[in-house]
This record gives sequence, structure tokens and C-alpha cells, in this order.
Amino acid sequence: MFRKRYRQQIPELNTTSTADISFMLLIFFLVTSSMDTEKGLLRQMAPPPLEHETPKDINRNNVMQVKLDAQNHLSCDGKPVTLEQLTAEVRTLAAVNRTGHVVQIEADAQSTYEAYFRMQDAIVGAYQNLRQTYALKHYGKNYEQCTAEQRTLMNEYYPQRISEGLLVGDGTSAKAATNQKGGGQ
Amino acid sequence: MRPMRSMFSQSHRSVPSLNVASMPDLIFTVLFFFMIVTHMRSDEVKVRLQVPQGSEVQKLANRQAVVNLYIGRQGEAWHVQLNNDIVQPDDIPARIEDIRSGLSQENQQRLTVSLRVDKKAPMGLVSEVKHQLQKAYALKINYSATEIKK
Repeated sequence: MFRKRYRQQIPELNTTSTADISFMLLIFFLVTSSMDTEKGLLRQMAPPPLEHETPKDINRNNVMQVKLDAQNHLSCDGKPVTLEQLTAEVRTLAAVNRTGHVVQIEADAQSTYEAYFRMQDAIVGAYQNLRQTYALKHYGKNYEQCTAEQRTLMNEYYPQRISEGLLVGDGTSAKAATNQKGGGQ
Repeated sequence: MRPMRSMFSQSHRSVPSLNVASMPDLIFTVLFFFMIVTHMRSDEVKVRLQVPQGSEVQKLANRQAVVNLYIGRQGEAWHVQLNNDIVQPDDIPARIEDIRSGLSQENQQRLTVSLRVDKKAPMGLVSEVKHQLQKAYALKINYSATEIKK
């Protein structure tokens, strides 16, 4: 009699449905959350111009005018260019005059955002290319693998000088009203 | 008769049941993984848009200080959506000020506006929005894009 009692087992809890419940939770989270990490081109805009602010004079030779017309055609200093050519042009300009050059961009109101974005991307690509070369030469590794300090140093060595302000003045001197610096982390 | 019975007795033999006790644990592990790597979708996008592709994109850090701004189509017209509501470009500075006041001191400095703009959007509208952001001193902007490999 006693023996029989000892052998009696504790009734098992039926946990078959726990899997279903957790599956439902899992699916709920999959639906309501998003996996995509935000990626994009980080830019720093210039503060709004003050009334008494006088436009800065820059040498016309250091300015490169990149224009996007209503038909999404890209031109650089008046000549039509492709994105690759634009990258190459900016690269040459920034390599020659690191801290003095200005890339002035202007987009027509009718142009599409995609064309504008590609233009920005191409310009940033040129700077990234220069920094990468610098990183390989001086640190012997890729730009991405450098430490934060090294990257800041490189970003300062090759600053992105992109302006979206309008140029005023004649052939010899140009004035940029607003300046947009590239955001390097 | 005899072989017949043996056949029947075989069919009575029950299949050993699979032990599924650890299945919930496995699923919970997957669940926790998803809970950690994902984040809740904060706002409902009311406009239709497709962001462009770029090769020089960077990851956007610190999600707390990010304001989402969407420019896309709703029907035929172009609309601007800030966080959760459709807004007029003129209302942006006031809205940004509202959002800014709700942030901590640190995040106020870091405030970044993530522009998720449709590929086909006209630059006139985008420039207008950018101009309004400039007025609101929301100077850090991010042109959202998907990455393509070079």
C-alpha cells in the first residue's frame, strides 16, 4: 500500500501550448518592430544668416560650381559631367587646395531628390576617397578601421567644404552666403 | 488467421512521442534576440516614399535625438510628415521647438533630423523644408538612404 504511494508520480503540467504562446509573442514583435538601422548622409547646415552678416570673399579660382538643372543634368563649372567625373573633379580640387576650396552646389527646384542625393553622394565620395588614401599612406589601414581620433584628424585634414549658398559678385571674387559643412561623426 | 492478428497488433503499437519541452525555451531565445536587436516602429508613415540609394552612407547613432521627417506622396500631392503628423512646411519650426523642449539638454545639442525623402520628390519642396529647419536651428540633418556596395 505504502509502496504504491511512493511510486505515484506528480502529474506533469501540459506545456505543449507554451510554444504556441511564445510563437505568438515572437510574431507580434516581428510585426511591430523594425530591423532596419537608419543609414544616410549626415550633413551639417549653416545657421540662418544674420542680417548684419557680410558675405565672405573667396577667390573665384577656388570655387567649383556644381549645378543640377530641371532635367536632372549635372554640370560642373558649366561643363556637363557624369557622377564619376564629378567625383574626380572634386577630388582634384580638394587635393590641391585642401582648406581653401569651396564646392558650391545648386539644384533647380524641378530636379528630383534622387539626382540631388546622388550628386551629394558623389561629392562625399571624393572626400572619402582622399581620406582613404591618406589613411592607407599614414596609418597603413582602411579609413573605417582607424580609431576615432585618427578619423577626426583626417576629417580635419580634408574638410568637406560644400556650400549651398548663392554666389554673388563678378568673375574675380565670389561670395558664399551660407556654408554647409560635411558631417563627419 | 495468425499472421493477420500479428499485423493488427503492429498497428496498435504507439509512436513514441517527441519531447517538445524545450521548444518554448528555444522560441523564447529567438524572441529575446528579436526584442534586443529591433526597436519599436515609432511612427506610422502616412506618405508613400522610397529613399534613394547611396554608397557613402553612415549609420545614424543615438536614436533618442532623432526626429523623423518624411516627404512623400499621398495620392498625387506631395506631403511632409514630421514624426507622426502631416505638416505644412511653415509649421516645421514650431514643431521642432516643441520636440526640442521635450528632450534632455544633451539630446538638444545632438538633435538630428532624419530626412526620409522619396526619390522623385522635387527639390523645390526639399529646399523649402531645409530652409525651415535652418530657421528652427535644427542644423544636423541626415539624408536617409539605403546602402549600395561600390
